[in-house]
Amino acid sequence: MRRFRLLSALAVTVLALLGPAHAAAAQEGDLGEGTEEGNEGGSEIGHAEEECIHLLEEGGTIDDCQEAPNPILPETNEIIWGAVGFFIVLGFLWRFGYPAVKKGMEARADRIRSDLDAAESQRSEAEQVLSEYRAQLADARSESARIIEEARQSADSMRRDLAAQAETDIADMRRKAAAEIESAKTQAIADLRNEVANLAIAAAERVVERSLDRETNTALVESFISQVGSDR
Amino acid sequence: MQILAELEFPPVSHIVNWPELVGGDTIGVNKVVLVYLFAVVLTALVFILGSKGELVPRGMQNVAESAVDFVQDGIIMQTMGKEGLSWTPFMLSLFFFIFFTNIFEIIPVIQMPASARIALPMFLALLTWLLYNGAGIRSQGLFGYLKSSLFPPGVPIPLYILVTPIEFVSNFIVRPFSLMVRLFANLLAGHILLVTFAVLTSALWVKAWYAVFFPLPLFAVIFFTLFEILVSFLQAYVFTLLAGVYIGGAMHPDH
Repeated sequence: MRRFRLLSALAVTVLALLGPAHAAAAQEGDLGEGTEEGNEGGSEIGHAEEECIHLLEEGGTIDDCQEAPNPILPETNEIIWGAVGFFIVLGFLWRFGYPAVKKGMEARADRIRSDLDAAESQRSEAEQVLSEYRAQLADARSESARIIEEARQSADSMRRDLAAQAETDIADMRRKAAAEIESAKTQAIADLRNEVANLAIAAAERVVERSLDRETNTALVESFISQVGSDR
Repeated sequence: MQILAELEFPPVSHIVNWPELVGGDTIGVNKVVLVYLFAVVLTALVFILGSKGELVPRGMQNVAESAVDFVQDGIIMQTMGKEGLSWTPFMLSLFFFIFFTNIFEIIPVIQMPASARIALPMFLALLTWLLYNGAGIRSQGLFGYLKSSLFPPGVPIPLYILVTPIEFVSNFIVRPFSLMVRLFANLLAGHILLVTFAVLTSALWVKAWYAVFFPLPLFAVIFFTLFEILVSFLQAYVFTLLAGVYIGGAMHPDH
């Protein structure tokens, strides 16, 4: 960029210096022509003199020689060559220049478009893969949550079952124990009753065997009871 | 006022009228014709070097493609729409031929804009006149084109007595004339400016006290040299743009 600026500055300077030099040369030429125009008797024939001779030959007057060419009127050769030049440019651009450049530009545009399309399809593909991965990840998460939940539920139900089982067992054991106690108690009462009955029968037998008076009976019963009590 | 006495400014005809180098009056080759030749060669070079079709454009390819883009997007699409894209070669030719013939105004040694002669602007203006009228007749038919050109819609009928002659003069006479004069006068004026300051600069290159003023016209020459680069581009652009406007207007009278 710096080099470009330096070159531009140099170019402008050269242009500016050559401009005046050239113009000066042109002016000198013009002055020279002017001198030649003034010096009709000179040996060297200038362009203006040639034009003047030509005009005089064509039947013009000397006044025509003094007239400067009108800068507004077109010159035939310039029109012809200008038209030829323009049509050459037009023909060249129409047939070769423009189609070639346009072809290059269209090829680039196509390339860029196809690259963009490819990038777009790759992007959408990548997005699809990403969404698939995300879906899979979400599935895995919900699956793991489900498994954990199931495990928790099964653990809960197992705990509940075990607790219920334990309570049932305890209740059974209590019931059995109570039943056993009850039966033991009933048995004991029955045994006691039998014993008492036996004792009573035995006492009655002794009473019947002796036919005692009241005092003897009472003493007998008391001794029996005390015997029984001491036996126990 | 010794300086004014010493200063001999060449007449306008001397700074634009160039003698034939070869050939006669009708097909003689002078400096202006050489400028045409350079313009043809340079345009061809731009497009030959610019048509490499590389994926990443460099150098002249950038110039050629930018020019095509500029003419298509900046001129044709703005003035003629999508249908005008087939005019691209013509518009490119107009732009490049005018620009290169203009830019020789500041190319050392040559320093002559071919458009400072009336011949080229006149030819191009007439060609544009023929083409936009032809395009109008082709797209609307002769009657339709004349109707849309001379009888603009939405005007009360009595006013056509006034409007139609104005439209006729404006569309068929003033347009080519203004195209021609704009290009010619701008370039001639620029050329005269450059010559004026160059002559002043060289006249001040003397051993005298007034040589202290030498830098002033020198800087003016530098400034106007840069300015004429802009003018060269701008006049090529304006001519091409107006050609696009006229052709587009003839093809689509509604717009």
